[in-house]
Amino acid sequence: MSAWLEACIARADDNTAGQSWLAAKRQESLELLRESPWPTRKTEAWKYTPLRVLQGFSGGAVGSAAVVDKIDDLNSIDLVFVDGNFDTEQLSVELPEGLSVTRLADADRATQAWAAKRFACIKPERHLFGLVNDVLFSDGVIIDVAAGCTIHQPIRVVQQLSEGAEAHTRVLVRLGEGAKAAVIEQCDGNSESFNTLVAEYQISAKAELEHYRFAFQVDKAMSVGGCHFDLAERAQLNSTLVGFGSTLSRVDVDIHHGGEHTFAKFNAIYLLDGRELFDLHATVEHANPNGRTIENIRCIIADHAKAVFNGRIHIHRDAQKVLAELNNRNLLLSDHAEINTKPELEIYADDVKCAHGATIAAMDEQALYYLQSRGVDRSKAQVMLSFGFINELVDQMPNQILAEWLRPQLRQRFSQMEVS
Amino acid sequence: MLKVKDLYASVEDKTILKGLSLNIKAGEVHAIMGPNGAGKSTLGYVLSGREGYSVEGGSAELDGKDILDMEADERACAGLFLAFQYPVEIPGVSNLEFLKASLDAQRKMQGVEPLTATEILKMARAACKQVHLPIEFLKRGVNEGFSGGEKKRNEILQMLMLQPKLCILDESDSGLDIDALQVVAEGVNSQRSPDRSFLIVTHYQRLLDYIKPDFVHVLADGKIVKSGGPELALELEENGYGWLNDNACEGQGA
Repeated sequence: MSAWLEACIARADDNTAGQSWLAAKRQESLELLRESPWPTRKTEAWKYTPLRVLQGFSGGAVGSAAVVDKIDDLNSIDLVFVDGNFDTEQLSVELPEGLSVTRLADADRATQAWAAKRFACIKPERHLFGLVNDVLFSDGVIIDVAAGCTIHQPIRVVQQLSEGAEAHTRVLVRLGEGAKAAVIEQCDGNSESFNTLVAEYQISAKAELEHYRFAFQVDKAMSVGGCHFDLAERAQLNSTLVGFGSTLSRVDVDIHHGGEHTFAKFNAIYLLDGRELFDLHATVEHANPNGRTIENIRCIIADHAKAVFNGRIHIHRDAQKVLAELNNRNLLLSDHAEINTKPELEIYADDVKCAHGATIAAMDEQALYYLQSRGVDRSKAQVMLSFGFINELVDQMPNQILAEWLRPQLRQRFSQMEVS
Repeated sequence: MLKVKDLYASVEDKTILKGLSLNIKAGEVHAIMGPNGAGKSTLGYVLSGREGYSVEGGSAELDGKDILDMEADERACAGLFLAFQYPVEIPGVSNLEFLKASLDAQRKMQGVEPLTATEILKMARAACKQVHLPIEFLKRGVNEGFSGGEKKRNEILQMLMLQPKLCILDESDSGLDIDALQVVAEGVNSQRSPDRSFLIVTHYQRLLDYIKPDFVHVLADGKIVKSGGPELALELEENGYGWLNDNACEGQGA
């Protein structure tokens, strides 16, 4: 076991956040964690993502987090976590009808009991840090959208971390039957910090969730979190993940089709530079018939950066008539960058339609020539093409105000990347 | 305008152009016809500076400037335009953005003030109207999901916007129905002027019914073997290229 994990377990014993309602579950997770081997290069789920950077991180020195910028014209309901603690002042804003936001510590017994069930259920072999989040849990909220309600204002959950901070937060979202809402998870920061944001979504029958996760942490801001989606009958998910890399960035996305006629679309974009790392593990479980999944994962990588993608689609024996597509495309801007991609289809039903593919390529010479033949110089053409490559997915975002906000940030990020 | 002299060019170590000479004066329209594999498309690619095509000998000048040493984008800025036989699809880059980047680059190179976004949009709308493409096409990815005819019309749209000195049309008529063919021809005809020249590469006489060339050349085995007026195109339409085999050795450059 690593020194870091030992220290983590020792700290867990002193952790009182969540108190009584969570105590038993936390104990369970602690036991699981004690038995969990520390991932090494031989651990498949962590093969390309070394965790040794964590060893140097001690945390504790807490400064002050930056102010959260509003997103122009988005009119979002902002829920802010500063260094792992929910900023309750944000709760004083008036929420639209049908939406309630409750801090887990303040929730009623029934809600807490429901929330507790979410703990100690994250598979340790794949996501050790789900357990770490369980035992070091600092704060969390439950976002409830009542059945049949449509919340027009997007709900934005912002994680802010000051230098040296560590945060283990939980966001639980429940969409009632036929409800519709948009949730944005955003992590910012470039100073040395560590977070394990775990967000879980229960999407009831016929409900529709529009979801975004912006993992904008760079440099030494470390993040190992995940999003878990449970789809009931005829539920729909449309999710977009955008990530920049850092010394340690790992996101686990789990989509569970728990009912029939479900639909999930998951698009991901990541732009990596320098010696950054970004690791995306996406798992889709089709446990029921007539479900549909579309996944588009695109990465642009420069310099000595490293990208990891593991995309697994598991179609259970009874999940007939499932349609699933997984497409991973990577654009390499440097000979020193590293891409590890592994699409996996595991199919036990005999009447399904599935496709998967992964490509790693340098710039398309034909398209470059086409742009040049109109007067655009080669380096500008490279920038246009690369940006176009990711912009295709930005164009698909349902919220175009958010897309407008995102584009200049991607452009700026991209302009800093070295094309060699 | 364009002076090509004894041009030799190869692709993947195979020599395609074998001593091609061609002289196009300002305001003239030349058509190049010839059988498959004669090197018609290669000529367009070599002149526009496509990578992978290497020049082994000869020269090509545009307005007195040697273009063979220029990058593809420099040639475009110098006034050369190639309408592609198979325009490339570029998803994620909108047609308008593409036009703006091209115009900006060309004007910068020419030392003229850039156009404002509004001016570009106004021009683009007018160009769309002229080539019968809906204005929404400006927002779509470059050629993304366009039909064959729409792609060809989009090439003409770019030509209208960029106002080149020399336009090379590489089989702009292939795969077009009569209506689209007329749109393409009208686009070209509207741009004919004393200071602009055209080189039209085509398989068929059909396009030349709509765009009247001043000269017609026959390209075979990498060089021009026969030149004449518009009547030569009609002759070819009637007799085909079979005669080339009979007197292939007698061909002379124009």
